[in-house]
Amino acid sequence: MPTLADAIERLVAGNREYAQRAAEADPNAFVELSKGQAPEVLWIGCADSRVPETTVCHCKPGDLFVHRNIANCVHADDLNAASVVEYAVAHLKVKKVVVCGHTKCGGANAALGDADLGQTLNTWLHPVRELRRKHKAELDRLPDDDARAVRVAELNVQQSIDVLKQHPAVKKAATDRGLTVHGMIYDLGAGHLRLLEESGRKKGNGLWSPT
Amino acid sequence: MSGNTEEPKDLRKYLQQSHDRIFDNNRKWAEEQKAKHPEFFTKLSAGQSPEYLWIGCSDSRMPAEAITGLEPGEMFIHRNIANLVCNTDLNVMSVVNYAVRHLKVKHIVVCGHYGCGGVKAAMTPQDLGLLNPWLRNIRDVYRLHEAELDKITEEDKRYDRLVELNVVEQARNIIKTAAVQQSYAKNQFPIVHGWVFGFHDGLLKDLEIDFEGQLKSIQKIYNLTMV
Ligand SMILES: [Zn+2]
Ligand SMILES: [Zn+2]
Repeated sequence: MPTLADAIERLVAGNREYAQRAAEADPNAFVELSKGQAPEVLWIGCADSRVPETTVCHCKPGDLFVHRNIANCVHADDLNAASVVEYAVAHLKVKKVVVCGHTKCGGANAALGDADLGQTLNTWLHPVRELRRKHKAELDRLPDDDARAVRVAELNVQQSIDVLKQHPAVKKAATDRGLTVHGMIYDLGAGHLRLLEESGRKKGNGLWSPT
Repeated sequence: MSGNTEEPKDLRKYLQQSHDRIFDNNRKWAEEQKAKHPEFFTKLSAGQSPEYLWIGCSDSRMPAEAITGLEPGEMFIHRNIANLVCNTDLNVMSVVNYAVRHLKVKHIVVCGHYGCGGVKAAMTPQDLGLLNPWLRNIRDVYRLHEAELDKITEEDKRYDRLVELNVVEQARNIIKTAAVQQSYAKNQFPIVHGWVFGFHDGLLKDLEIDFEGQLKSIQKIYNLTMV
């Protein structure tokens, strides 16, 4: 019978294997990583265990600077996410910011109703629940809760992007050096990423640039 | 407008290319997974029940699932600048709350890394604007361990030690939450661990935090077990 300690042993063994394989594939791998990081992308995603960004994007260590929280929210008053954005955009000078929501998101699903999740989570998800109220008519027309949760996830990504656009570092980098912000939805059932079209924009390629 | 506007076309093209790469890579990965395990995505769709919560640095060089060899679905993940756990931060507190009370994770790993840019920035006597309040938490860790750190004369060694002490303090901050104390009293889990990742060899170092001992020591002042 597996014990609590076995679960930790597994991570340690997994890490040893990772280190060995990485060194075999490229003897210089860790020498390069030790020198520093220069990621091109800041990834803001959900904490959900089923959306590990580096695996899903088939990327390598060093490619994506990462912030993950419940339901990939960027709230205007949240210092945690704002600090990540500041560091990634103003200091590391990433070229893109990606906000990625996903299907079957527990956060988006919880936002479809007003069940009491405790004060902490109620407060965190309040802006997402407000989105649901604001778009009630549209959501009511959808066939089922799965579809409604996906739509809420999309609206939430869009809202996070709206907040990001107001971040001083993002504003400045967008004007000075062409930083772009992108919205995506990861489809858990297919394993596919889908780029969100920005509503109200004619040539919606998901890219946002300052006007 | 200023800066790179003289070459907007090239820049656009370049950005579009690295953008396409993400999608190409993603398609490739999804196909490989489906070929290897046809049920892979259907099973994931059904729900998550991760055993671990990982709180790590945002640093691009330490993707949690890759460096621990875990599959999608196994680890709930929060990452921020310098893997901090501040009790007034609704963002990280929501993650801990959800992972402990709703997902019932068995282990929580706080993982820092040597050479952390956030920790280094906090050791720099400089106004960093918006980052000041966040990095202030690391300066407070220094103050808690001032005597020990001041004794280390070599700057790199002092900085490595601050990285370790920061992990221990953040692990203690997790133990101080009502969610962890109440769950542990009832279920004997989660256990909180403190680790540091090294880029020079790709290995994780266990700081061997004595969970029970730490829990006892914080509960003298921070006991929130009673509902
Ligand atoms: Zn989610
Ligand atoms: Zn770091």
